[in-house]
Amino acid sequence: MTDVAIRLEGVTKGYSGHSAVSGLSLSVPRASVFGLLGPNGAGKTTTLRMVMNVLAPDSGTIEILGRPADGAARDRIGYMPEERGLYPRMILEDALLFFAEMKGTSRHEARRRLPGWMERVGLDDKWRRRRLNELSKGMQQKAQFIATVLHEPEILILDEPMSGLDPVAADVMRLVLLELRREGRTVVLSSHQMETVEKLCDSMALIDRGEKLLDGSVSDVKRRFGSNCLAIAFDGDGAFFGALPGVERVTDHGQFAELRLAPGADPQQILRLVTERVRVRRFEIVEPSLHAIFVEQVTRPGGATA
Amino acid sequence: MRLFAIVRREYVERVRSKAFLIGTLLGPLFMTAFTVVPSALMATQRGKPLRIAVLDAAGGLGAPVEHALRERRVLGEPRFVVEAAAVGTTDAARTALRAAVLDGRLDGYLYLPPDALARSESEYYGRTVSNVMDLGLMSQAVEDALIAVRLTGAGVPEDRLSGLLRRLDLRTIRLSDTGEREDKGGSFLLSMILLIALYSTVAMWGGALMNGVIEEKTNRVVEVMVSSVSPVQLFAGKLLGVGAVGLTQFLVWVSCVVALSFFGAHAASASGLKLPELQPVVLVLFVVFFLLGYFLYGALYAAVGAAVNSQQEAQSLVFPVLMPLIVGFMFFPMVLSSPDSTLSTVLSLVPFWTPLLMFLRVSALMPPAWQVAASILLTLATIVLFNWGAARIYRVGILMYGKRPTLPEILRWVGRA
Repeated sequence: MTDVAIRLEGVTKGYSGHSAVSGLSLSVPRASVFGLLGPNGAGKTTTLRMVMNVLAPDSGTIEILGRPADGAARDRIGYMPEERGLYPRMILEDALLFFAEMKGTSRHEARRRLPGWMERVGLDDKWRRRRLNELSKGMQQKAQFIATVLHEPEILILDEPMSGLDPVAADVMRLVLLELRREGRTVVLSSHQMETVEKLCDSMALIDRGEKLLDGSVSDVKRRFGSNCLAIAFDGDGAFFGALPGVERVTDHGQFAELRLAPGADPQQILRLVTERVRVRRFEIVEPSLHAIFVEQVTRPGGATA
Repeated sequence: MRLFAIVRREYVERVRSKAFLIGTLLGPLFMTAFTVVPSALMATQRGKPLRIAVLDAAGGLGAPVEHALRERRVLGEPRFVVEAAAVGTTDAARTALRAAVLDGRLDGYLYLPPDALARSESEYYGRTVSNVMDLGLMSQAVEDALIAVRLTGAGVPEDRLSGLLRRLDLRTIRLSDTGEREDKGGSFLLSMILLIALYSTVAMWGGALMNGVIEEKTNRVVEVMVSSVSPVQLFAGKLLGVGAVGLTQFLVWVSCVVALSFFGAHAASASGLKLPELQPVVLVLFVVFFLLGYFLYGALYAAVGAAVNSQQEAQSLVFPVLMPLIVGFMFFPMVLSSPDSTLSTVLSLVPFWTPLLMFLRVSALMPPAWQVAASILLTLATIVLFNWGAARIYRVGILMYGKRPTLPEILRWVGRA
């Protein structure tokens, strides 16, 4: 039994001329939550589709739980694409049993498991025999999630699982994902929401333009960028932050800003200059947030959104 | 197993829908309504009788012709109201009649030229000359009158005229291996109803399959599906599932027809009406040709569905798919009037048209068995080829979103690895 859930080795995939993924190597540890990050068009969906054997890589190898990624391997994965999709006119139970069948779980077994999962995600039993298009958007998301897990896969791949969820539903989702990890399952999620990834994921990879920029455990990645950031909570206009000596990059949220310092910059001097211009409520030397790392990495010269 | 699950879902969801129930029950009703009612209307509703005048330039023909015209009845009603012709010179009378027709006092006038009797010629001037049935009736009346005048001229006594002029009553009896049966156009009507049923069900279930594919694409279900089963499995499952629904509907209809001809035959023979016969082999082939048509055109419909993003986009691509079906349908009068001509044989062997035209030949005049077998084999081969290509287009198309691909682009997908 390997401790790697998914391993990509030099995976390349091109569409008529341009390459969507090039030479991508990744490994997702078992029983962990893994975040796949990247701007739009970075190749996340293409990568996930190749793992799901929906697309074939031009070159490179993909292993699922130590075996080649083939039709049999993908039965051990639950996949929730970014664009959610269920049969809107079907009855919830019929649709969910059907999707479980598509993964090789018997209808009988799926029917036995369904009530447990409905309770787990907070979907009342009265909806079981209702048509999906009668359900609210939030309930449909829950149904979609059950469709992904009803065959009780060892690996879950969720494309943007939190998008469109209200805070309560997002909390439920987070708890369920953590439970699944405790049960020894592996969760791979792609997301733009850096806070989600930062708080939920054990490890991560950042890709852009089909190439990996960095990967590792979330704490390692942050440590690698060092404690060279300033977190400032303030009242006033922070437009001048970028012009301060030794400040390389500013992420200004309005009443909160993250300043990335150049090597050798003096935080004390910056604090003095800042207090002259605005009222400071909090001032802290911190590791960079994933958000800052993400933006910095993908806006480097030649980056996607530069 | 998963293929079976896909087929079952496709089947159960569709058969349970109200649309299926309504379509299956009302389909035959509409079909009958669309074919029988117009021809029944045409036979019974003739509109008002025609107001005409007779201009006799020959002399002595006016009275007998007018009399003959007044005698013509349709469903007990006189068909022609004969107005007095204008007097004066022929030219003046023609001018007057012409004016009367143009301002609507008359529907038309009949001109008997000076040598009408000798050359058996006359002319009809009217605002409408497309009312074929009325003109046929008029021609008969004039002809009878002219013959009567000639016979009288040859010394035949008047009281013998009606006997000599008796018209022919041609009865049509269809001869087949199972016996003889009088047919008053019923088999023509039956062939047409069956053909329309074939045509519309192939187009309908092909369209249903296409919409199903488009729906899965717009709902993004397809992405979940192909992460579980291969696109070819999904394609086959949908094709078979929708086909099974169509077959169910078809079998319901066929059993209705069988039941109707069984019970109806008693009722009909009691009322002196003869229903056209339907041989069992025709009914079996009816189902066979429906399946051939569905799998042939269904493959194309599914490919179109996979290539587009919405039903609106599908409209322009569906036309080339539907075109051969429509063209085949338009050959029907020709094939029906000469089912064993070389042209009919050749047309019915073209796979695109086999489902409609070979069946039409079967229903009209059973072609040699080898021709039926050859047409089925040719169509099966085409079905295999088309479905192979369609599955390849489907595999690429279902994951393509964005700009609608052009036809050449879609065809290139067939070759893509």
